[in-house]
Amino acid sequence: MKSIQRRLSLGLVGTLVVVGLVLAQSSLWLFDHSLRRYLQEDLKDETQTLLTALVRGQNGVQLDERRLDPTFQRPFSGHYFRIDFADQVWRSRSLWDRNLQQPAATGLQTGLGDGPRGQRLLVYRADYQRFGQQFSISVAQDYTPILESFRRLQWLGLGLGGGALLLILLAQRYTVRSALRPLERVREQIAQLQQGRRSELDSQVPQELEPLVGQINHLLAHTEDTLKRSRNALGNLGHALKTPLAVLVSLSEGEDLRDRPELQATLREQLRQIQQRLERELGRARLAGEALPGAHFDCAAELPGLFATLGMIHRHGLKLEWQAEPGLCLPWDREDLLELLGNLLDNACKWADAEVHLSLAQEGEGYRLWVDDDGPGIAPERRDEVLGRGTRLDEQVAGHGLGLGIVRDIVEAWGGRLSLEDSPLGGLRVAVSLPGRR
Amino acid sequence: MRLLLVEDHVPLADELLAALGRQGYAVDWLADGRDAAHQGATEPYDLIVLDLGLPGKPGLDVLREWRAGGLATPVLVLTARGSWAERIEGLKAGADDYLTKPFHPEELALRIQALLRRAHGLANQPQLEAAGLQLDESRQCVTRDGEQIELTSAEFRLLRYFMLHPGQILSKSQLADHLYDGESERDSNVLEVHVNRLRGKLGREVIETRRGQGYRYAGVGA
Repeated sequence: MKSIQRRLSLGLVGTLVVVGLVLAQSSLWLFDHSLRRYLQEDLKDETQTLLTALVRGQNGVQLDERRLDPTFQRPFSGHYFRIDFADQVWRSRSLWDRNLQQPAATGLQTGLGDGPRGQRLLVYRADYQRFGQQFSISVAQDYTPILESFRRLQWLGLGLGGGALLLILLAQRYTVRSALRPLERVREQIAQLQQGRRSELDSQVPQELEPLVGQINHLLAHTEDTLKRSRNALGNLGHALKTPLAVLVSLSEGEDLRDRPELQATLREQLRQIQQRLERELGRARLAGEALPGAHFDCAAELPGLFATLGMIHRHGLKLEWQAEPGLCLPWDREDLLELLGNLLDNACKWADAEVHLSLAQEGEGYRLWVDDDGPGIAPERRDEVLGRGTRLDEQVAGHGLGLGIVRDIVEAWGGRLSLEDSPLGGLRVAVSLPGRR
Repeated sequence: MRLLLVEDHVPLADELLAALGRQGYAVDWLADGRDAAHQGATEPYDLIVLDLGLPGKPGLDVLREWRAGGLATPVLVLTARGSWAERIEGLKAGADDYLTKPFHPEELALRIQALLRRAHGLANQPQLEAAGLQLDESRQCVTRDGEQIELTSAEFRLLRYFMLHPGQILSKSQLADHLYDGESERDSNVLEVHVNRLRGKLGREVIETRRGQGYRYAGVGA
């Protein structure tokens, strides 16, 4: 989609150019037309002056030079005449050696005739009868200066029009930009929302945007609320199922079954399967995935709690450390990320000898998370197998290998990638690379 | 050792009461959050096992209330809510350990033992050791100079309490408070009998009598 600003500019420029050109050209044309009308009267007067200058002399009809306009005498003055008698043609002296074509019809000629020295002539012809003779008088006036001034006017108009257009465009750009500023602000806020840097849109917006922003905020709140409620419901379901399961597990370990080892083994195995399936499915159902655009995970705020919990669970003097750029915020749901990091770190703690290290960093658009430990690690040829284990739910073995099921679910839901590498600490590095959110 | 179990699911509570009783703990059981909030803060428990999904008052609120009131008793949270976000919340509310349902009874026993040892400054011991004696809590017997000595349940309970408080003078009423649950009858003569039996098995010097004050666990001299 093109930007609104560009569309408005294009529309405005198009309209202004077309209207401006039509207006300018038609006003020039109207001006030209009325000027010619006006000049026609002059030319008509001139033919009449010439007519009155025709007198009967000793050698028949002749032109009284004294009555003639002096411009007719000066060569190439721009004023010319020609008088056609039945048997002869008189030309003004100003024509010098050039000829003036006799127009075919009387009145002002629509086209401009060619004159000497590149002049363009406005020609008028009138037919008269005098002294018993038919004759026609044609007068011409040089129209070039007026054409030239028209051209100048056109250039001037073009320049002025262009300048005005530029001015209007700038003004329009400014107006549109300031009118669209709230829209731009909303756009920026939505971008921030997606990067997890804010949780809702600012509701102080112009009237036109209020429903949009209101609706988006409502949707955000609604999604968050739904997620919270479904998580709560899942928690309740888990509680309702796991408590009786705890009773059964306890019973299966009880004295009464000591002497029925086969029954006990079957019971244990079935209970283990139920438990695993339950954990995994509840875990999956809890994931927010990409549902919440406003979700974010503030490393500095959340990681200390997670590390304190890990320290409480694994109490054998492990050195637990994390490292992230100050103020790093990951654009995903807090609970999802805690689940991802908690599981990875818990595994690392189980295998580590003395040290577990987490590092988080932004990499271009995306993010990378490294969980390092100084444990025994996994041989490169076995890594694919470990990663592939538990792809199907019923294959999953909790407590073995890495128990990566839920971690993989989360990473997949975010379109990320999980890989196992050598750690500089000597053990295993679990590397998670996550693409940025758009 | 006197424990408070707060669990509203009766069959599970029955199982846990039986298992914990076998392990020599005196256990009081409550099913309601409001009762737990009150009783946990007033009775001298050594450890509290707290379920989070309680009627009356949510377990986390009960825990927060205890901690706000300055209760330092170790609390083991028992819950079906096992997500990391919830674990962190539990820890922030003041839990000392977190066990998710379903769990193996053995796991619970180990966690309780570890938590009790830690609460008495004896962290990082696979077995309870104090002043020359090693107590095997799962088999309920004591080792002295490589020699294993069988104990009765009552002797085991008494010795465990002594060994968790080495060198401290423990009055009879304090011992009674921590060895019997709220409903048992307390008879100080019975306590004397058990102390004497322990002396008979382990040697007189293991438990000293401080006249008018109570008993003191001295161990088998370093």
